Amino acid sequence: MAYLDPYTVPLTANKAAHLLRRATFGPTRAEITAFTGLNPGTAVDQLFANVAVTASPPPPIDLTPTSPNYQKPLMSYPFIASKSGEHSVHLRYWWVGLMMLQNNKPSVLEKLTAFWQNHFVVSQNVMADYRYMYRYLKFLRDNSLGNFKTMTIGITKDPAMLIFQNGHGNNKDHPNENYARELQELFTVGQQDYYGNPNYTEEDVKAASKVLTGWMVTNYYVSGTSDFTANFHRNYHDTSNKTFSAKYGGITIQGRSDDTAGDVEMNELVDMLLRHPETPKHICRKLYRWYVNQNVTQDIENNVIVPLAAFFASPENNYNIKPVLEKLLKSEIFFADQNVGSIIKSPMEYLLGMGRYFELPCPDMMTDTAAYVNYIRFFLWGMGGMNLEILTQPLVFGYPPYYQVGYSKNWINGSTITARRGNSDTIIFPSQVVKPGYTLGIDFLAWIQKIQPNFADSSGTPAITPDEVLAAFSKNLFALDLSDTQKNYLIDVVFMQNLPRIEWRYELNAYRSNPANTTAANSVKNRCSNLMRYMIRMAEYEVF
Amino acid sequence: MKRRDFLASASAISLPVMVNGFGITSLSNRSSLVQALMGTAAAATDRILVIIYLNGGNDGLNTVIPLQYYSKYQGIRSNIAIPEAKVLTLSGMPEAGLHPAMTGMRDMYNQGRLAIVNSVSYPNPNQSHHRSSDIWMTATDANQYANSGWAGRYLDNRFPGYPQNYPNDTMKDPLALQIGVLNSTSLLGPQSPMNISVENVNNFYALLNGGQGLPTNDLPCCEAGEMIKHVRQQQILSTGYSGQIKKAYDAGQTLAAYPAAGTTTELSEQLKIVARLIHGGLQTKIYFVELGGFDTHGDQVTAGDTTVGTHATLLKRLSEGVSSFQNDLVAQGTADRVVGMTFSDFGRRANSNASRGTDHGVAAPMFVFGNGIKRQMVGVVPDLNNDLEPPTTSPTNENQEVKMQVDFRRVYSDILRDWFGAQGTVTDSLLFRNFKTTSLFSNVIETTASGAWPDRSIWSAGRPPGAGDYVRVNPGHVVAVGQNITVRNIEVEGGGELNILGNYVINTTG
Repeated sequence: MAYLDPYTVPLTANKAAHLLRRATFGPTRAEITAFTGLNPGTAVDQLFANVAVTASPPPPIDLTPTSPNYQKPLMSYPFIASKSGEHSVHLRYWWVGLMMLQNNKPSVLEKLTAFWQNHFVVSQNVMADYRYMYRYLKFLRDNSLGNFKTMTIGITKDPAMLIFQNGHGNNKDHPNENYARELQELFTVGQQDYYGNPNYTEEDVKAASKVLTGWMVTNYYVSGTSDFTANFHRNYHDTSNKTFSAKYGGITIQGRSDDTAGDVEMNELVDMLLRHPETPKHICRKLYRWYVNQNVTQDIENNVIVPLAAFFASPENNYNIKPVLEKLLKSEIFFADQNVGSIIKSPMEYLLGMGRYFELPCPDMMTDTAAYVNYIRFFLWGMGGMNLEILTQPLVFGYPPYYQVGYSKNWINGSTITARRGNSDTIIFPSQVVKPGYTLGIDFLAWIQKIQPNFADSSGTPAITPDEVLAAFSKNLFALDLSDTQKNYLIDVVFMQNLPRIEWRYELNAYRSNPANTTAANSVKNRCSNLMRYMIRMAEYEVF
Repeated sequence: MKRRDFLASASAISLPVMVNGFGITSLSNRSSLVQALMGTAAAATDRILVIIYLNGGNDGLNTVIPLQYYSKYQGIRSNIAIPEAKVLTLSGMPEAGLHPAMTGMRDMYNQGRLAIVNSVSYPNPNQSHHRSSDIWMTATDANQYANSGWAGRYLDNRFPGYPQNYPNDTMKDPLALQIGVLNSTSLLGPQSPMNISVENVNNFYALLNGGQGLPTNDLPCCEAGEMIKHVRQQQILSTGYSGQIKKAYDAGQTLAAYPAAGTTTELSEQLKIVARLIHGGLQTKIYFVELGGFDTHGDQVTAGDTTVGTHATLLKRLSEGVSSFQNDLVAQGTADRVVGMTFSDFGRRANSNASRGTDHGVAAPMFVFGNGIKRQMVGVVPDLNNDLEPPTTSPTNENQEVKMQVDFRRVYSDILRDWFGAQGTVTDSLLFRNFKTTSLFSNVIETTASGAWPDRSIWSAGRPPGAGDYVRVNPGHVVAVGQNITVRNIEVEGGGELNILGNYVINTTG
């Protein structure tokens, strides 16, 4: 099997769910059904085609009900420094809302945007101007399927990045090497190759920082200003020739001094970085770790990373992102059994995925703003408690579980286990009111009514068995199928609590014949919530 | 929130009167009780309760067999009745016997370490597993609901501010420890569970080993298996208080024989762990363990021999586990400060069904065990001739239930007040009202109503006082005496009255 060959077996529910779990923030049950049976290529094509549906969503708005700008787009009025903290959070609410959108049009967009945001990191820990942050995020989102060169150039002169990595303070008299280093170490060539050889030298950092002198931003964090941008100032630009090490073929970027010097030299620099053979490998390895498996073995390096990188950088592809991701998501290796369940869910996949799997609808931001806030609040701060605050990476390296030894294992420790359990309990034992008539969480009785044929006819239609309840509740809940031993344990010990299975049918029929009876309803509901709570707490639920 | 505030303020305004660590509400009224209590060696703060949940609804009539009514017993459950000759008899208690599988607990009874509380239930009994166990665990009336458990409320009252302010210098250990899959409602506090729980014995040992040693045979291949293993280890390591638990386990020893390898059961292993933690000095106040499988609708006994089968196996596990545990405590020297109790969802029907089983019923015996008990029989064995409900069968309803003698909350009340030493008013608020004592932990039998001396229903213990009992006639109660009586002493409170109906003698032996 060539790993990058297209996988052609029509999707089982398990593989359809795998694709959706990895390419999005988790499938709804309806999406899994819709994707089951599709040709893998067709399924992946849909995920890309659906990007257009949400390509231009309504922009983020002021979500504070008491604010004079309530419900107005944050960009529609001059900057208010005193609102920066609040509006920065509103931006997170906006993005999480896009992640939670359930329109039956699953797309790769938000998950891929999150990939780029964790690659070209700007963190709200530093970035206090919400306009800058929105522009940065929108740029990544708009270009996430575009061209990597366009993206690298755009991000290099992005106002938010210029602030975050001190490009704004990088001038010919006081060079600041911060961005020049991260551009190479993290964003393009990577610090070292697969075998541990450095990909660039300290001299290359100095040379690149000289190329990037002269870029400055306007109106950063200035109250009352209506626009901002990044400009090149030739007076602050280092006009000397910049010579790079043998790592880059000893190339020299000629120093320039006119108004176009900034763009021209930056373009040559990025071209040079992208000619480095390690750049496409570095990006492909990172994509592989994000989408397929964090363990890049020698076999994977040779048979996935190297050929995929060659394609990424090839003249016919010319660093376009979409064809590379298509190839990866359609590949044999992506769908290989050993890659299903091989990663521990981040808080995004865990909590957003739970909300999507249980099909808890996200209220509309514009028309149902208060409910939207109540809804997003749970997910946003829930993720925070599990060590992932959206748009708030601790460092430019991104969230540690995407690069640190052990990778996704780092999401799990004593305190995050407690937080995960607390958050899942909120969904299993509904208590958070989104709006009148909508309490966030699973309505187990409604679920049972739905899966019990002829619910009201308790004398004529037999009650569904515990096996059937388990089958319905666990359908595509786990990435991997449970063993029969596990299923029996779930039924007999967790669901039945060691009572004979027949007791469930008595209890369910008691509820069917008298749905208004609290005792009858509670006995059904409690068995269901106990079962779901146990399943969600199983280690098997933590992997995807 | 409101309920918690209420409890907090209730405890703040009425400080307990402490006698040797006991909270005694009305010292003068209960002087004999105080004496009785002060006779025990250990301080109340060291006292421990072990709750054993018999999940499914235990069949009381085949657990404690009413020998006094054997022929009726045989008649209403002929296909499952234990042969009279096989029933284990109890020293000094001819009316009752134990199932033949319960030799260990029979010995405990004969040594004075096991009490039988007969026909325990609650008014308006419910026969849904879920609802009835909920009533037992929350300790509410059948038509009321609570969001916390009785033991959880007690711990919350005794250790305010849990879990936020714990562990601390005065309480370093878990307040309660459960070995079981689902957190028991019994231990649920007003805000959060008051217990630490470990899913099963395997996980407990993995906890002692730093998350190592979990079974690996169910792990999938490759990275997925590695990730799942990692999460499981971290889950074990995230068990609260694991350091303290391990410390106590390592400091403790097992000093008695438990079922031998190959015949061990989850319950005996759980109790073995509990005993070792107690020996190792863990300050945990309540342990909760569970034995499931009591929902014996069919094949409760085998066709050929009613002394073997599902129920016999369960009772053997219970009896072996409990008696080994008790022997261990005695050997450790901790037996004076540990009591255990069993409870179940409900009892089972008096008459058996055609599948050699029994359906959901009403009242059943509870066991309370330990050196701390002062009484071995509360109530009397069910009078199968007169105390079944309905009293007679008809062609349309052949089912009869065992009627309640003792509300289970009276036992809880005794445990909280007399065993743990909670103040009377606190006990009453934790159980939502006052429940009369069963005198389980007292050698004083007191009146609960007026009536004739032999009328068991007027006595706290559910049976007339015997020669070993102190007796108190409470205010407002008139007891008519038409016989000679021998007791240790009698105290008649102001407003109470002994009405001697003739020339009868009352002997007091002191």
